[in-house]
Amino acid sequence: MSEYTLDCLGEICPVPLIKTQKKLAALNKNDILIVSIDHSCAMKNIPEWARKEGHNVEIEEINDGEWEIYIEK
Amino acid sequence: MNQSLSSLAAARRNHKTKHNQLPWGIVVLAAIIGIAFFLFANVPQAAIMWAFGIIIGFTLQRSRFCFTASMRDPVLTGSTSLTKAVLLAIGVASIGFAYIQHSAAVSGLPIPGNISPVGPNTAIGAAMFGIGMVIAGGCASGTLMRVGEGFLIQIITLIFFIIGSLWGAHDFGWWTANIIPKTKIFLPTLIGWIPALVIQFGFLIGLYVLANKYGKRSDKI
Repeated sequence: MSEYTLDCLGEICPVPLIKTQKKLAALNKNDILIVSIDHSCAMKNIPEWARKEGHNVEIEEINDGEWEIYIEK
Repeated sequence: MNQSLSSLAAARRNHKTKHNQLPWGIVVLAAIIGIAFFLFANVPQAAIMWAFGIIIGFTLQRSRFCFTASMRDPVLTGSTSLTKAVLLAIGVASIGFAYIQHSAAVSGLPIPGNISPVGPNTAIGAAMFGIGMVIAGGCASGTLMRVGEGFLIQIITLIFFIIGSLWGAHDFGWWTANIIPKTKIFLPTLIGWIPALVIQFGFLIGLYVLANKYGKRSDKI
């Protein structure tokens, strides 16, 4: 189990989601992906997609208008 | 397994350097109320528009409501939650508009609302707007909401949105003369109020059922 980060700061929807989908596909089971976002709608569609895929997801507001999404594959 | 994720989130939470935004919130709220009173004293109608604008903007921001995502996410992620939300919103608006327009029609007043001709212009415009909003990351309301929220990159979208609107307004005479049909279609006057409402809500309910089925189908859990 290892941790990976994905920087999506400044990316407009749906780019963060597509990047997350691609990155997560390359990871192994139980790996954790940390996605940094500052576009509020990515905060909705990334967790929704990941939960649909059956992954565990947590969201944390790390700074004003900056969030991190934790996805466990 | 979920435990490790929440402890990771908790560990990273401690690093954050968030500012207390409460004072700013109070200042902005006071300004909103102050402007509302100022407008009400001068142009009462503008105060009502101001209040509705603030309420809609607040709802849009807090709910992460997004017309773009409602059309895009079914294709991209298989999620139809926003599609259903938009259909519900159109349904609620339809009830309100039906009441307002019916009361106007009954008392012989001109029917309020943007009743415009349907034709190839609708399809051309819809396709252009659809492609544009997915690339730009937001429709009109979504872009305004995100600029207000502080996502500054979408100011570029806003600038070109204004340029596009002005360009469209400038050439609107040409579109009216060459593309847009002359006759306006208002279903209730054409086929009666009850059939028009049955068609409207039949479509909305049908689309909702389809969206619901599609959303469940792509569920992998």
